[in-house]
Amino acid sequence: MKDPVIRVQNLVSGYDDHIVLNDISFDVIPGEILVILGTSGCGKTTLLKNLIGLLRPFSGQIMLLGRDLLKANDKELLELMRQVGVLFQNGALLNSITVAENVAIPLEQHTKLNPELIEDLVRVKLSLVGLAHAAHALPSELSGGMRKRAALARAIALDPKVLFADEPGAGLDPVTASSLDRLLLNLRDLLGMTLIVVTHEVGSIRRIADRILFLHEGRAVFYGKLDDALKSEIEPVQQFFNA
Amino acid sequence: MEQIVITLPERFSHVEINDLQKTLSRFKSKSYQGRTVWLDLQNTQQIDSAGAVYLYRCKDEFKKKKIELRWLNASAEVQKTLDLFAPVPPSQIPRKKRNLFEIIGEIGYELAKQFVDSIFLFSNIGFWAFVSFFKPHLRRKGEVSNQGVLIGVNALPIVALIAFLIGFILALQSAAQLRQFGANIFVADLIAIAMVSEMGPLITAILVAGRSGSAITAEIATMKVSEEIDALTVMGVDPIPYLIVPKLYAIIITLPLLTVFANIIGILGGAIIGVTYLDIGFYPFLKEVFSVLRYKEIVTGLVKSLTFSVIILLTATYFGFRVKGGAEGVGRVTTASVVASIFFVIVADSILGLIFYFGEPAF
Repeated sequence: MKDPVIRVQNLVSGYDDHIVLNDISFDVIPGEILVILGTSGCGKTTLLKNLIGLLRPFSGQIMLLGRDLLKANDKELLELMRQVGVLFQNGALLNSITVAENVAIPLEQHTKLNPELIEDLVRVKLSLVGLAHAAHALPSELSGGMRKRAALARAIALDPKVLFADEPGAGLDPVTASSLDRLLLNLRDLLGMTLIVVTHEVGSIRRIADRILFLHEGRAVFYGKLDDALKSEIEPVQQFFNA
Repeated sequence: MEQIVITLPERFSHVEINDLQKTLSRFKSKSYQGRTVWLDLQNTQQIDSAGAVYLYRCKDEFKKKKIELRWLNASAEVQKTLDLFAPVPPSQIPRKKRNLFEIIGEIGYELAKQFVDSIFLFSNIGFWAFVSFFKPHLRRKGEVSNQGVLIGVNALPIVALIAFLIGFILALQSAAQLRQFGANIFVADLIAIAMVSEMGPLITAILVAGRSGSAITAEIATMKVSEEIDALTVMGVDPIPYLIVPKLYAIIITLPLLTVFANIIGILGGAIIGVTYLDIGFYPFLKEVFSVLRYKEIVTGLVKSLTFSVIILLTATYFGFRVKGGAEGVGRVTTASVVASIFFVIVADSILGLIFYFGEPAF
């Protein structure tokens, strides 16, 4: 078995003195899509924030691409962050600049490529997500689905090994949401990325998930393959899929 | 002729591009025209998107110099990446070229539209300001006093400080001149008239435009962007009497009061120079102030500050409702609103100054 891209062991995390996640352990192997799911308020986003270093856990260990996230200093953390892409829930595009300029940010900041090459690269990435025509539009001129795709283009600008996506389908109609899922699957197949997706949309889970981590009241109640999850006897998991 | 073959490293990413660039630049000269430069990808196991895009770009550049750039021995994996990141032609945005007349027409149309929009908005506010005076239930409860505190009371410290400094410095600058003629006591006249009819209203209005005008614009713009204004409208609540009119009442009441306050503090600031530097007693100074101030100066100041209060509110409201886009739009209209309201305040000050200067007082 290949070395895991992410290994989380006995993670305990929360805010101030309030514990949100309790004793979470799981692995993510290269090239798979792990879906973190659960009902609202179960700690999905908190877990994601821990994995991308925005929140420090109370205890436990997080290994990201073979490095200990909690022992890394600021410089190492930055280096590690260059190798991951994050697709935020609302896209988090900078609103004052165009879509193309948004996608160019990581390229300008982290590489020494010349401007013409960056321009070419931005065009290629935008066409990959089907937005070549909207390069010069401002984020506020785009629809919700387009904004998410633009954010996806920005997240994959540096060819990350791991892509985190926070509720990619939230607020989108089923057709747009499913096309976004297809896009994620394509990216995984073409670029060999590993995906960690937080969502609670059953349709989306069925389409993309290889493995599932089911959180319930701060604990991981199920961790395994999608098919097993669908057949699971565990009450919250059953309720979730049969709701 | 010897073949030119360059072997690429095991990993070809954005980091390795510079090395290849240096190597390739040697072959860009005219002496290589008509020849082929081969890139051997035999060792290359990994290539990233930047690397792939760079290779395609190089190929193009060499082609322009009539040199052929080709690669060989690409593994299936590398070929897949190369295919995936094949160049995309720049999208042709049909941008119609506009001639001078179109541009002038567009600007004119835009200005006319803004003018009409503002007239509609201002008459709307005027109408509701009159109507909701008699129908207080149309306004948000307790909002007039709330806004009065925000616009007026909270501005007292900064207005006091600025007015004091203005009075103080005005007196100091003029004292040196007046002293030469032994006209020391006239510093009181100068300060009294300058503060009451000009500096007091103007300084207060500029401060309030910066403090409260910007706040009003930002508040309305944020409410509009987050659809709160629409929500009020569909609840059958007209946003003008509900949100704007209380602010109008509050600013009309507080700005003249703030101005009177600023005048007093400014004159006191001047009095300090009079007493300490020009050896005028405090009592003679005040006596001179009250003897020189006529109704005309006081009325001028009050009419000005009333006018400014309406100008600040209307400008702030107009820009607030004009917001477009998201959060960045709020920032834009707020800046524009402050600049515009200070501009209009100064223009109005000049016009009123002229009217009161040349107009015969009826009192």
